[in-house]
Amino acid sequence: MKKVLLSLSIIVAGYAANAQDLAPDQNPNYKVSMEKYQALPAIQTSMNTTVQDTYKAYDWSTAKAERKAERRNFRRERALFNSYNNSWNNNNWNNGWNNNNYNNGWNNNRWNNNWSPFFFRW
Amino acid sequence: MKQIFTLFTLSAFLVLASCSHKVSRIDPAETPDINGSWNNTDSRLTAEAMINQSMTDKWLSEYVQAKGKKPVVIVGMVTNKSHEHIEAETFMADLEKSFITTSKVGLVQSGKKREEMRSEKADQQTNATVSTMKKFGLEKGADYILQGSINSIVDSYKRKKTVTYQINLELTDIQTNEVVWIGDKKIAKYVKN
Repeated sequence: MKKVLLSLSIIVAGYAANAQDLAPDQNPNYKVSMEKYQALPAIQTSMNTTVQDTYKAYDWSTAKAERKAERRNFRRERALFNSYNNSWNNNNWNNGWNNNNYNNGWNNNRWNNNWSPFFFRW
Repeated sequence: MKQIFTLFTLSAFLVLASCSHKVSRIDPAETPDINGSWNNTDSRLTAEAMINQSMTDKWLSEYVQAKGKKPVVIVGMVTNKSHEHIEAETFMADLEKSFITTSKVGLVQSGKKREEMRSEKADQQTNATVSTMKKFGLEKGADYILQGSINSIVDSYKRKKTVTYQINLELTDIQTNEVVWIGDKKIAKYVKN
């Protein structure tokens, strides 16, 4: 009987101590949330800063300028590519028998280069 | 010979004129619009609107009446969801300054600056004299957090463009999560190239 009373008194004392920690109307399960957020990595260092989450808006004139720049880059790359591939026998100069500036049907250097699937090997 | 000299002088003048680079100081309150992007004028207008709204709104008087002291605010994150790179610190700093100069709202440090202060405090624990050493655990807890967002809407066709910015600031009670004040500023621009 004594043991039962002792354990009961301990339980009551425990509840009373817990109730003293709580503010009026405070959720008794507050520690669950508190422990969860205390375990998370701190984000306070990003306070007082501007998080840049910008998007790209469509602008007619900007889009036009971008298209133009893209075309220019493509032409430049194509010229570089062609000049590299023309170093062998597909040059722009008249080699007497296979002038590539004109479509000769079988050796046009746009298609007949090292990277082309139609490349003709001698 | 004379003609060559004149031609040379003229061409030299043209070359020098084309290379000229001029910088002049202007009044920050009258920053001209160059290409229609967010600029100093927009930041200033936003700051003025936010200061006016936050200082005259009822949240402040209600808090002072209920608690008998001025509220303490901490500045949180501002998210820029517009189409341009905008630093909110330009107008947030003006707002923070107004809190301090008017003495109506208390302000506590946040972010990296707060981390730096705590680091300094930690350094003092082993390096400063006992009489001048600052203690941990005596910081002032903020009552409210100030957070915000920047949004924009762009409508353009050929050389015409309209841009609308909307800046929102929210003040939230840290204890109860109750939003007590929302300030907003809308800036609309018509740009013709």
